[in-house]
Amino acid sequence: MSGCPSVRRLALAATGVLAAAGLLGTFAVRADDSAFTSKAGLEAQSGAAIYGNICQGCHMPQGQGAVGAGHYPALAGDPKLISWEYAALTVLRGRNGMPSFALPAGQVDETRAVHLSDAQIADVVNYVRQHFGNHYKQLITAEQVAALPHPSPEPTP
Amino acid sequence: MDTPASSMSRRSLLRMIGTVAGSATMYQAMSALGFAADSPYQGPIDLSGAPRGASVIVLGAGVAGMTAAIELRDAGYEVQVLEYNSRAGGRNWTLRGGDRYTELGGLTQECRFDQDLYINPGPWRIPYHHRGILSYAKRLRVPLEPFFQVNYNAYLHSSKAFGGKPQRFREIKADYQGHVAELLAKATRQNELDAAVSGEDREKLLESLRHWGALDKNLRYASSDAASARRGWKKKPGGGASARPIPSEPLELPHILNSGLWEGVSAGDEYDMQTSLFQPVGGMGRIGEAFGRELGPLIRYNAKVIDIHQDERQVTVTYEDTESPGTAQKATADWCVCTIPLPILAQIPLNVGTPLASAIASVPYASAVKVGLQFKRRFWEEDEHIYGGITYTDLPITNIGYPNTGFFSGGKGVLLGAYIWGLNAMEFTSMAPEERIAKALDYGSQIHPQYRTEFDNGMAVAWHRSPFAMGCFGMWSTASRAAHYDDLCRIDNRVVLAGEHASFLGGWQEGGVTSALDAIGRLHERAVAQGDKA
Repeated sequence: MSGCPSVRRLALAATGVLAAAGLLGTFAVRADDSAFTSKAGLEAQSGAAIYGNICQGCHMPQGQGAVGAGHYPALAGDPKLISWEYAALTVLRGRNGMPSFALPAGQVDETRAVHLSDAQIADVVNYVRQHFGNHYKQLITAEQVAALPHPSPEPTP
Repeated sequence: MDTPASSMSRRSLLRMIGTVAGSATMYQAMSALGFAADSPYQGPIDLSGAPRGASVIVLGAGVAGMTAAIELRDAGYEVQVLEYNSRAGGRNWTLRGGDRYTELGGLTQECRFDQDLYINPGPWRIPYHHRGILSYAKRLRVPLEPFFQVNYNAYLHSSKAFGGKPQRFREIKADYQGHVAELLAKATRQNELDAAVSGEDREKLLESLRHWGALDKNLRYASSDAASARRGWKKKPGGGASARPIPSEPLELPHILNSGLWEGVSAGDEYDMQTSLFQPVGGMGRIGEAFGRELGPLIRYNAKVIDIHQDERQVTVTYEDTESPGTAQKATADWCVCTIPLPILAQIPLNVGTPLASAIASVPYASAVKVGLQFKRRFWEEDEHIYGGITYTDLPITNIGYPNTGFFSGGKGVLLGAYIWGLNAMEFTSMAPEERIAKALDYGSQIHPQYRTEFDNGMAVAWHRSPFAMGCFGMWSTASRAAHYDDLCRIDNRVVLAGEHASFLGGWQEGGVTSALDAIGRLHERAVAQGDKA
C-alpha cells in the first residue's frame, strides 16, 4: 500500500502487465529458489506444497484458522468439508476476502492473483480433506473440478 | 566495438520502445486498479447546517474513519468512533523500538530497533498531488520531509544478468537512453522516418536526440565526456595536479535489453511516483497518531464490532471490549460511516440490501509483505553512497528501500528489506516471521554482501495476517469494479462505507481521505433533508 502502496508503484513488479501485453521479458521470471515458486514453477506444485506455500498463510499451518477483528475459518475438523464441491467452489470462486484461484488470465495479472489448474485444485482439496483431522476418503479429480462453474472471463471493454 | 544497431532490426527496436514507452498499456492496467488516478480532493469540505442533535457512529479509526470523524464533529454532529486496535491509524502505522505486534495465528514480534529508527508496514510515501492527506498532515501539524522515489545511485538488479551484479540506475538509464537515441538518429539520417518527420523537423529531431541521449558530434553514443556526465566516470573529475577525468565505457545495448533492467528505468515516471514525494518525520504513523490525539476521547479503542443493525430510526452497533471478551456493549447513532476493511465487514452481521452486501463480499484483499531490517551500520551510505531511494530487483524481495532520513548519522540504520506482492507474498505470509526475515536477508545479501556481517534484528509484517485488516487493500478487477463499485459507495438507508476500497486510489491514503469526504458529504445532505431531531 503505498500506499501500499505501492501499490503502483512498482515498475519491476508490474510483470503481469507485460505478460498481458505478450512482452514477458527476462525480468518477469522470478529467481529460482527451492522454497519459492515462480509463476512457472507453481504449475508443478502438488496439493501439499500449495497448502504449505499459499493456504496456510491465512488458514494456518495446522488448519486451525485464526481470529482477530474477523476470522479465517478453521479447516481442521470443518464439517462443511464433507462436501468436496463446497471446498472446490470456494477455491475456484473465492469467498469474502479470499481471492479466487481460478480467475481468467487477464484478471490474474490485473489483481496479482494466483492461478491454479483444475488438477491442482482437486489436489489441494484432497489434501485438506485428508489432513488436520479430516478423513474423507473419496478423492476428487480434475475432471470433477472442471465440471464446476468457473469465474467467467471479463467482458471485453 | 560492434554497434548495437547491427544486432537489431528497426522493427524490433520499435517494438521494444513500445514496450517501455508502453507505459500506455501499463497506465491503462494501473488505472483499472485505481493506481494512477488523480486525487479528487477539492479543499476543505463544507458541512454547514447540520441538524441539531444529529449523531454519527464511525467504525474504524484509520485515515478514512478519522477524516470523517473530525469533519462531522466540526460540523456539529455528535460523533463516536469504535476502533479494534488499541491505537489510532489503522494501516497508517509505524513500528518502532519497544513496539509489540502479534499477528493472526498468535506469533508475536518485539521490535528492537534503535531510537528514531522505524519501518512503515503500510503506506510509506505521499505524492505531492495527494492534497487531501497532505492537507490533514498540515492541519494536524505533522512535519513532513522528502521521500526519494528515484535515486540514480541505487541499483537495478537482475539475478540473471551481468553475473548477478547490481547495476547503478544512473548507468542503465544513461546507456539505454543513449543507445536508443543513437538508433533513432541513425534511422532519421537514413530517411527511414520520412513519413513521420522531414525537412526542418528532421534536423530538430536529430539535435534533440543528441541532447536527450548525450550523443557525440557524429550522433553516436560512445565513451565520451558527454556520456560520462550522465552515467558517471571511470575516474571522476576533481581538483589538483592529477585531477583529469577519464570517461567511462557504456554498456552495450544488447546486454541492457537482455538484462530486462530497462524495465526499472521508468519507475519514477508514473504520476504517483513523480518528484516530489513526502513522508512524515518519524514515520508514517505520525499522521494516524495526530488524528488520534485530535479526536481524543471520541475514539473508543479495543472495540471489536460484532453486529451492525439499522432500522427506520437509528443504527445500533454491538461491540466487544477485546480486553474482556464476551461482554457485548451497544452504541447507537442516527447514521453510520463504516470504514471496516471488507474481508472483516463481510463477516459481520449487517442488514443492508443485496447490492451492498454482494459488493462487500466481492473484493478480495491483496497479499503484501514488508520486512524491516536493522543493521549495525549504514553500509549503503558508507560503502555505496546510496542516500535514500529504492533498489529494484527480480528477486522475490522486489525492493530494498533505504531510509530517507538520518543521513550521515553514523549509527545503526533500518532498511525496508522486502516489499512483496502476489504469489511470493503469499509464500512469505505462510512462513513464521523469523523465516521471512531470514529469507529477506538471503536474497538481499545477493545485492549487499554486507548483510551477512552487519545484520542486527528485524520485523516482518504480512498483511493477510494482520488482525485488523486481513489483507493489504481492496483488489478490484475491471470486471468486479463494473459489477459492484457503485453499489459499494451508495448509501444504504443509514449506513455508508468509506475507505481506500471505496476509491479509485486503491491502497493509497488519499483514497481513504477522499472517499470519506465524499461519503460524509452525501450523508450530510440526507441528514439535512430529514431535519432536526425532535
